[in-house]
Amino acid sequence: MSFSFSQENLEKIAALKKRYPSPKALCLPCLWLVQYQEGYISLDAIDAISEQTTIPPMEVYRVATFYTMFHLEKREKLQVDVCKTLSCKLCGADDILQHLESKDVTINHVECLGSCGTAPVMQINDKNYENLTIEKVESILEELL
Amino acid sequence: MSRVVDIIIDGENYRAEENSLLIDLLIQEGIKVPYFCYHETLGADGNCRMCMVGIEGQKRPQIACDTLVKEGMVVNTKSDTIREVRKNILELELINHPVDCPTCDQAGECSLQDFYMEYGLHNSKITIAQKVKHDKAIDLGANVMLDQERCVLCARCTRFTAEITKTHELGIVGRGDDAKVTTMPGRTLENDYAMNVVDLCPVGALTSKDFRFAQRVWFLESSEGICHGCAKGCNIFIDHNKLKYKDDTIYRFRPRRNDAVNGFFICDAGRLSYKELQEMRQESATLHGREISQEAAKEAFHNLLLLHQNSIAVVIDANLYTEEIESIINFANTIDAKIYAPLDIYKDASFADEMLKSSMRAANYKTIENLGITTSTPQNATLIINCNHPQEFRADATINFFTHRRETQALTLPIAAYTESSGSLTNEDNITQYSKQAVFKNSPLPTISDYLQGLGYE
Repeated sequence: MSFSFSQENLEKIAALKKRYPSPKALCLPCLWLVQYQEGYISLDAIDAISEQTTIPPMEVYRVATFYTMFHLEKREKLQVDVCKTLSCKLCGADDILQHLESKDVTINHVECLGSCGTAPVMQINDKNYENLTIEKVESILEELL
Repeated sequence: MSRVVDIIIDGENYRAEENSLLIDLLIQEGIKVPYFCYHETLGADGNCRMCMVGIEGQKRPQIACDTLVKEGMVVNTKSDTIREVRKNILELELINHPVDCPTCDQAGECSLQDFYMEYGLHNSKITIAQKVKHDKAIDLGANVMLDQERCVLCARCTRFTAEITKTHELGIVGRGDDAKVTTMPGRTLENDYAMNVVDLCPVGALTSKDFRFAQRVWFLESSEGICHGCAKGCNIFIDHNKLKYKDDTIYRFRPRRNDAVNGFFICDAGRLSYKELQEMRQESATLHGREISQEAAKEAFHNLLLLHQNSIAVVIDANLYTEEIESIINFANTIDAKIYAPLDIYKDASFADEMLKSSMRAANYKTIENLGITTSTPQNATLIINCNHPQEFRADATINFFTHRRETQALTLPIAAYTESSGSLTNEDNITQYSKQAVFKNSPLPTISDYLQGLGYE
């Protein structure tokens, strides 16, 4: 399960390095690149980030564990982030959640996704799905699963 | 050099350097201030919040480890508000603590216990069932055991591996209630100074696998000694105890602060070197591998000296105390023997590092050099008197003074190890230090100079 950055990502890292006085600033960008590339952050990836940023692996690992949006384990199922904050709750997020529970997906309860005007909202692979109804969820999942 | 200013603490006048840390002054002046995360070597981290003091003109209490001394500062460490603040912070530190003091090795030298008795004395507002559970008895490697539940997240250990050893094995991962000290998954604590985190840990989270469950610390007696592991001469506490019906036994070495030599730390090799002092010891006089009486040994000694007159060499171990070396030299001069102290055998470049470990694994080799003793191997001697030198020498006859049993047919006399006698040592930086006798055995072994006196040589 060894890890190496894709050529495209290496180019991105090289471009980012020019932007900051120290490569240490690239810790979070690198973690994101890894997560987009692999879907999760493996220990080998942390070593690769450590090499790029000159930050010891333990420190990168600490950052990765601190932020809940970084995943350290491989996620097999489709990840569905459902907003659990006020506006969505009032507009029926609970019904959406209940419906999702019967599906073969991993449900993550997340804080406000910043789209209260179009509540209830869920997010899949960084894309927001708004004004949800059960029918809408059904068709979205059909497309993705 | 910044200027010295006057400050008032609890109504008393003190003088301190401007912009120095207030907590340093408090510690130095012996003013009680509780703290977990601050450490003189690791510096301030400001995460434990225990060292709160009141400062006149400031609305809220401030942490002493992040407050700089200023001219005319008025500090209060004893007011009711400060006591209340400290109590509340301590309650927070203890909120998820398992309170397993009866089975905890730190009990007796635990900051949490001490501060609870001093400031806390509160009843916990939550039940055991509500406390956050973490892993216990995790083997981190390098003889260090971790109990995550007891941890107060002071980060001393992580700062030690990050700043002192620069090996970065430990870190605090996760956040909030989930935060815990750990190594990276599948990796271990691996450095030559790792066990210092056990001393650094103010609570029972990090304990020594070697010392765990061996003794209660309040039964131990601490003597001030000098480590004999190498020529650095690190200052140590020799923690020992004589149990009923048992002999005086050493249970651990701990570093003793000496800023001129070792600072706060010692290496793991030195820390664990107490074990070999208690194993495989030469306990009685032997000849041809068989035990003989003191009288027979004395007679054999005199006979050998007579037989080999004028062709005797005395070989001195470079770990002996200076006082011992001097009396051996006197003895050698009396019997007209040549004196040698071969040093090559002590050299071990693989042991050395840039911190405390020296490539010269002899505690007192500097004295050998300073006294101008020949460091070559003895030549043309028919009798060699080996004063605990690790090397084996060829001659017609040998008399050995040994602390530890070795394969030999020659006349061998048992002597006290360095913890069983006292004397001075000069380290590689020419600093002379005194090591006190720690262990008093039920049947003590003599030192070489004791022997020589008993044999009629002063």
